[in-house]
Amino acid sequence: MDQITNMENIFHKLGDLKSFFVYGQKLIPILQKILTFMEDTVPLLEKVNQSLQESTSKMPKATHQINSITNATEIATTEILDIVDGMTLDIQSMQSKLESLKSRTGEDEDVKSLLKMVESISNGMMNITISLQVQDITAQQLSSVNHLISSIQEKLAGLIFEVKDKDISGGVDVDYQFPKNGSFNADARYEKNTGSQKLADSLVSENINNTSQEEIDKLFAKQ
Amino acid sequence: MALKFLVVDDSVTMRRIVANSLKTIGHNLYVEAGDGREALTKLASDDTINFVITDWNMPDVSGLELVKSIRANDKFGKIPILMVTTRGLKEDIIEALEAKVNNYVVKPFTPQILREKIEQIISSAV
Repeated sequence: MDQITNMENIFHKLGDLKSFFVYGQKLIPILQKILTFMEDTVPLLEKVNQSLQESTSKMPKATHQINSITNATEIATTEILDIVDGMTLDIQSMQSKLESLKSRTGEDEDVKSLLKMVESISNGMMNITISLQVQDITAQQLSSVNHLISSIQEKLAGLIFEVKDKDISGGVDVDYQFPKNGSFNADARYEKNTGSQKLADSLVSENINNTSQEEIDKLFAKQ
Repeated sequence: MALKFLVVDDSVTMRRIVANSLKTIGHNLYVEAGDGREALTKLASDDTINFVITDWNMPDVSGLELVKSIRANDKFGKIPILMVTTRGLKEDIIEALEAKVNNYVVKPFTPQILREKIEQIISSAV
């Protein structure tokens, strides 16, 4: 009786084994597809990684280039201001000589006309100076772009740093420190419309000046 | 009344433009500082400075921090301060006024605007 039971168990186990093999045969093509997919994906991931490394390694260079632009425009603006200052001094000298000439020659129309021209040139010089404020405003806009690049670089460097231990980070300097610079206004705009100034004027007029009269008087009395 | 200005801006260009504008409107006395920290040092060492014109966005100690530091100072806490900045949003202006700037100029500015604001501050003291 026991032998019959054992044989039945063996047949039952053999049945299970057969089912396992049948299942295995069905599974093999799926596993093969997964392997093929992985074989296709690995080069793609390597390309993504390489691209990530390249992009990240180029970011400090981009930042340096932007800083170079800012420095170059600042130097150029200073040079323009030097020229404007020199010309302004010449104009002032010319103006004073013309005034002297006017006082000697009376109401000479040519002298009066020249004085008007000199005044117009002088105003033009001042307008050039005013327009050069664009350098500071664009410098702030460029700093804002640098800050954005820095944020992206930090994220990408973080990703690379995570896979660094697996030795696939390549030669990227993930520890590169971007210059920390809070000296910009991301909303800086070169607009000559007076909307913002009017808003400021309105808010200032509403504001109660807490500096007492007596204290301001004391301050100016020092002079 | 002779005014001696402290022009605070991290941009060399802007310091120069503010200085030129001051000269245009008849104020020839000024000293410069490249950031808030340097400005505080100059204020502490030069008691002839009686007017501050400051930018907002500067590294290290910003213009707003400078204003707060000045107002908290017993020696030069009441000095008139004019903020000259690119920040033209309402909340920025309110923040500056809460920090107790006396007046506010949005860049780009003209010497005439600078004159107007300086005169407003001075006239409030007369």
